[in-house]
Amino acid sequence: MTDSGSTDPTRIPSLPEVFLKRTFSLINSTSDRNSLSLVCKDWYNYERLTRRHVSIRNCYAVTPEIVAARFPAIRSVSLKGKPRFSDFNLVPEDWGADIQPWLSVFVTAYPLLEELRLKRMSVCDDSLEFLAMNFDAFKALSMLSCDGFSTIGLEAIATHCKNLTELDIQENGVADVGGDWLSFFPENLTSLEVLNFANLGNEVSFDVLESLVSRSKSLRVLKVNQKVSLDQLRKLLVLAPQLTELGTGTFSGDLVSSSVNELESAFSKCGNLQTLSGFWDPSLLYIPALYPVCGGLTFLNLSYSVLGADELEQILTHCKLLTRLWVLDTVGDKGLEAVGSHCPLLEELRVYPDDPLDQQSGVSESGLVAVSNGCPKLHYILYFCQRMTNAAIVAVAQNCPNFTHFRLCIMKPHEPDYLTNEPMDEAFGAIVKTCVNLQRLSVSGLLTDLAFEYIGKYAKNLETLSVAFAGNSDAGMEYVMRGCPKLKRLEIRDCPFGDSALLSGLSQCESMRSLWMSACNLTMNGCKKLAQEKAMLNVEVIKDEDGDDSLANKVYVYRTVAGPRKDAPPFVVTL
Amino acid sequence: MDANSKTMLKGDHDMLLAKVYDDDDGEIELGLGLSIGGCGGLRKSEEDLMPCCSSSSSSDSVKIPKSKIVGTKRRVVESVSPPNATSVVGWPPIRRGHRMPILANQIKSEQEELSKINNRHLSVKVNMEGTPIGRKVDLYAHTSYEMLAQTLENMFYGTHNALGSSRLLNGTSDFVLTYEDKDGDCMLVGDVPWQMFLGSVKRLRILRNTNMQH
Repeated sequence: MTDSGSTDPTRIPSLPEVFLKRTFSLINSTSDRNSLSLVCKDWYNYERLTRRHVSIRNCYAVTPEIVAARFPAIRSVSLKGKPRFSDFNLVPEDWGADIQPWLSVFVTAYPLLEELRLKRMSVCDDSLEFLAMNFDAFKALSMLSCDGFSTIGLEAIATHCKNLTELDIQENGVADVGGDWLSFFPENLTSLEVLNFANLGNEVSFDVLESLVSRSKSLRVLKVNQKVSLDQLRKLLVLAPQLTELGTGTFSGDLVSSSVNELESAFSKCGNLQTLSGFWDPSLLYIPALYPVCGGLTFLNLSYSVLGADELEQILTHCKLLTRLWVLDTVGDKGLEAVGSHCPLLEELRVYPDDPLDQQSGVSESGLVAVSNGCPKLHYILYFCQRMTNAAIVAVAQNCPNFTHFRLCIMKPHEPDYLTNEPMDEAFGAIVKTCVNLQRLSVSGLLTDLAFEYIGKYAKNLETLSVAFAGNSDAGMEYVMRGCPKLKRLEIRDCPFGDSALLSGLSQCESMRSLWMSACNLTMNGCKKLAQEKAMLNVEVIKDEDGDDSLANKVYVYRTVAGPRKDAPPFVVTL
Repeated sequence: MDANSKTMLKGDHDMLLAKVYDDDDGEIELGLGLSIGGCGGLRKSEEDLMPCCSSSSSSDSVKIPKSKIVGTKRRVVESVSPPNATSVVGWPPIRRGHRMPILANQIKSEQEELSKINNRHLSVKVNMEGTPIGRKVDLYAHTSYEMLAQTLENMFYGTHNALGSSRLLNGTSDFVLTYEDKDGDCMLVGDVPWQMFLGSVKRLRILRNTNMQH
């Protein structure tokens, strides 16, 4: 102990190191650990030596060497890379966020690494092979919205990870080059708990899949791709009735060797099922086979299914315990009324657009109001619609004052309240005034600076704000920069905010994780000024091929201890 | 026309979607009102348009076939493309992976239908003029035109089928059943043997009778 035996009566005697380390190793919450590490130097040390999991929300905010130096005992890493707008093609290819530099450090620093969870990272097949071959204790790989790899990389994972418990490939840009990657799992691998290949395009050998499921007695999550037929799904269910989460694949077609009753019987044995997804092209005839498990469902993801209102209602009458529901807007306002009627425990609703360009279809304000009337526990909404009114959102805010995530996307830019023709300022004003716990907000529709004044004034817990096609002047952004103390991520596109707005948040910038601004009014000079003022920020401009060189069309600003990127491609200029 | 030729130069199928709006409106929608540093529909039209049909060359991205409707010799049939659509990069903000699987399936089925005709399904989109929501029907689950017409009538007219059997096929209803074949031509359903129909049908359209020119 380094500070034993102090005679100062105001000092609390130190606890034994062994005791502290043992206690700290039981603490998993990152925020608790961050608090512990601030108490004193000893506690900082004990904490860092016992931390098992680290979440790096911006892979360029820190280097792998710095992480490894501070935390020597890490077994589980989460990494996020590209800015979120890369999901919508606003970030060019080869921007970065390569996983390999991290793996190269981890191979010596964390040879016992067990888990890797990646989001928006670039992962190539060689890196997957490197991972598989160099980390003997590796167990869990999860990739969401990553790109750069193909099924060849998955073959390597299957072949070499002898203790694999989790392989979770979600919504990535994966090149499915065929070959049967699933068959690379050795016969003696029985440890799988999570297998999600819903996103892959090609068929896998069903015999191999069947055998794998059959011998994986701990399997609790299975999400198959579209190539798995209904009959094959039935067989898998019979082999794995212990599943808690199921991705059904297409759920379409004729059952060849059995009937709806047999499918229903298979589902009825799955007493632990809580999450259902998939349903890419569901045959309505077989939906009733789900009814035995609907009563226990908490999360139903129908966001790939073209269903109408009546079809949705039929299903929902059986799903009384549902807390999370994702649907396509083909269900219409009528379908959402059914949601309001049948799902009183609903906490999260996402309504995705089936055909964003079809202005006659989809949902409107009445569907959202209906849900808010019937679901008072609603706190998370993602809603794509063609039109909306202020009055409706005011009503929604009153019905559901507990919103933590309010993401409204009126799909036509600059669309006003369609009844009054006024801007949508009052709608978002009502949300931020009423929902004091609001953490995440996405705004849309015709908005003036007033909307931002409301946000700056009331949204004191706001952490993430997404803005597009909104505002009148720099004042809008300034309200937010000055008014939202907890803001961590701000992403703005196509707004008339210029250099002075950018520079107005100088004090804010370092407490924020990142700022994205594209198609706004920024100039290179303004960005340079920001870079000069704040050394702890990386101010990166993504250059346009044919653009005015004095303008900064895409700007990404983030705090970092790593200095400027060393791997920046030629079109990324760090100021 | 500049933007038109610009978009086709890249040879990227995603640009075809831009073509939809060009041809429908005669000009690119620039209604965003903010001509700031390069934003706006026209300038961005050389890049990917909609996130759900975007391409990253590293992934097996999906080409939207919907856009094939426009620009072929199909003036006799009204396209289902909507007017006044925006064409802005990355808007609305939907992740590319979100809707890709269904479309990937449609593309694959073109290639696989001949070899797998016995144990696969052939899902095609069906649109009815005047109804905004398209549906899908599995043609392999049907064995005849009659059966298909029944399914469609149930789908679009509900269970209380006041139309009787196959009025869609015999021309006595207000609507007529057509399909788009491999060449993009609009054809009347029922003219060719069923199996031949399965081999060439790409999607189905139920149109108002007055539109057809016989």
